[in-house]
Amino acid sequence: MRLGYGLGGVLSASLLLLFVLPIAALFWTAGSAGIFAALANQGFVVSIEFTLLASAIAVAIGLLLGVPLGYFLARFEFRGRSLIESIVLLPVMIPHLVVGLGLLLVFLPGTPLGEAASAVGLPVFDHPAGVVLVMLYVGTSYVVLASQNAFRSLDRGAVEAARSLGATPAEAFWSVSLPHAASGVLTGGLLMWARGVSEVGGFLILAAAVYPGPGWGGPVTSPASVYIYNLYGTGGLAGATAASALLVLVALAIFLAVRALAGAAPRFGPLGGGG
Amino acid sequence: MTGGGLRVDELEVVRDGFRLGPVSVAVEPGTATALIGPSGAGKTTLLRAVAGFLPIRRGTISFDGHRIESTPPERRQFGWVPPGLGLFERRSVRQNVGYPLWIRGDDDWRVRTEPWLERFGLAAVADRRPYRLSSGERQRVAMARALAAGPKLLLWDEPLGALDVESVAALSAVLREVLEQERLPLLLVTHDPRTAASLAREWVILDRGLCRGSAPPGSWIDRARDRFTARFVGHRNVFGREELEAARDSRWGPVLLERAGDGGVLVPSHAIDWSLTAGSPHATVAAIRPQGDQWDIEIRDGRLSFTVGPVAGSDAPPIGASVRFDIRLDRVRGLEA
Repeated sequence: MRLGYGLGGVLSASLLLLFVLPIAALFWTAGSAGIFAALANQGFVVSIEFTLLASAIAVAIGLLLGVPLGYFLARFEFRGRSLIESIVLLPVMIPHLVVGLGLLLVFLPGTPLGEAASAVGLPVFDHPAGVVLVMLYVGTSYVVLASQNAFRSLDRGAVEAARSLGATPAEAFWSVSLPHAASGVLTGGLLMWARGVSEVGGFLILAAAVYPGPGWGGPVTSPASVYIYNLYGTGGLAGATAASALLVLVALAIFLAVRALAGAAPRFGPLGGGG
Repeated sequence: MTGGGLRVDELEVVRDGFRLGPVSVAVEPGTATALIGPSGAGKTTLLRAVAGFLPIRRGTISFDGHRIESTPPERRQFGWVPPGLGLFERRSVRQNVGYPLWIRGDDDWRVRTEPWLERFGLAAVADRRPYRLSSGERQRVAMARALAAGPKLLLWDEPLGALDVESVAALSAVLREVLEQERLPLLLVTHDPRTAASLAREWVILDRGLCRGSAPPGSWIDRARDRFTARFVGHRNVFGREELEAARDSRWGPVLLERAGDGGVLVPSHAIDWSLTAGSPHATVAAIRPQGDQWDIEIRDGRLSFTVGPVAGSDAPPIGASVRFDIRLDRVRGLEA
């Protein structure tokens, strides 16, 4: 028994080390001077700002689209449900370069969707909308899956009790189901956000260089991950490492801030505050 | 039956291949009716249909003379307490109990919740989440919350489940008091004869979606025609066919098997003729068990065990003693499956 625990401990520690070592190596190699230098790189800072804004928009849309689907998958039994669940998993399964190619084919100028997107001022190719679209495609599955799990763990009796106590279906959803699922939904949103920020393949095909418009400190920018990829390709390891370390710092800070805010925030609705 | 209260007539519900009904149930104001039956009998299905959560195929549901089949659950004003109680685990006890007031937009919901917390002894735990409460406290939260809504009818699935004897007695006393004061009808589901006996004036026995009958608790002693009902109402010597077949080498096994129905056989207490004095025919005392301040005696005949008594403690025979034991076969009843 003791030998089993020991072996398990060694294997677990090895895995954790594997997770931590590359990040540690990044910071070790970049050093504080390198990170400050990356901060002084106006182009990269603009790229991070752009990426954070695009990912925030993508997560907002992803929550709007993904939470209802997660709810339906959790709450209702119907024919074709497993097909829908398989479709939800598609973006997770396929290589993201392929995602970029597929989206390009669908939204190419001349295609119905491409023309429709251009008509509403959101041409996808090399446009911020393309970045949001890729983030949406590769990340919303996490929102759906996390929401589905969260709603599935909700006791049906609690919803029925709420209805019986006077709540309409919508009121029961907002006052009972959603608060119950909130932390699961939040986790899905964070995973989606992290997935979107770390995406490269889809951006390289669809929106590697985007034109965000005036007010962004330059005519052209890229998603931060593509910016780092380009730095690696043109300037070598040092510049890419420092930029990567900075991106990791920003991502970690946002992740921890959201978790802390979610933990400190009152639950949904006026019932959720004090006692 | 007066025009008031709940009336369910010839109700049929079909769900996931299970068919309930036709079932008819009536609950008058201020009284309780218990739905009793083995797992899968359709008890909870009937309660959920009355609460408005399942579509009905046929039949009617009316309350105080008004048909309500098409009324949504939130407008029926029925206090539905589902299996597992359906407490809102993310909310405090106060928020749970005050929910029906809050959801109607009552700004004073906190103030109006206090009397309910006091009445059910929940004031001291009002700021706790339900998962930190004992089983008895959770039951009281569910009860207070359902009553705070001002329901016209209580629908309760296992109201006193998972509680110890003392808690069952205390809570059923509170519940009875509320039912009488508010003239509330209660339709409950229970697996527990103690709960059914302490609360309900009428027992409706369901089995595999069908109603076996509706009668006051005491009359079920003689009306029991199937194994589940016989055991539920308290008959102690109920044997399935399989038990009797395994006891062919005993004195009584083959004799009872001849009289057994598909559900086995019932040997009522008044069919057993026994005495502590040795005599013929005889049997052996296998065990004695406390029954209040007296003792039940388990008598072994091969693989069959019969329970007789109780007898006063001073009369309890030693294990292994020989007693006179006979069965009046004309009083033995074959049971339906």
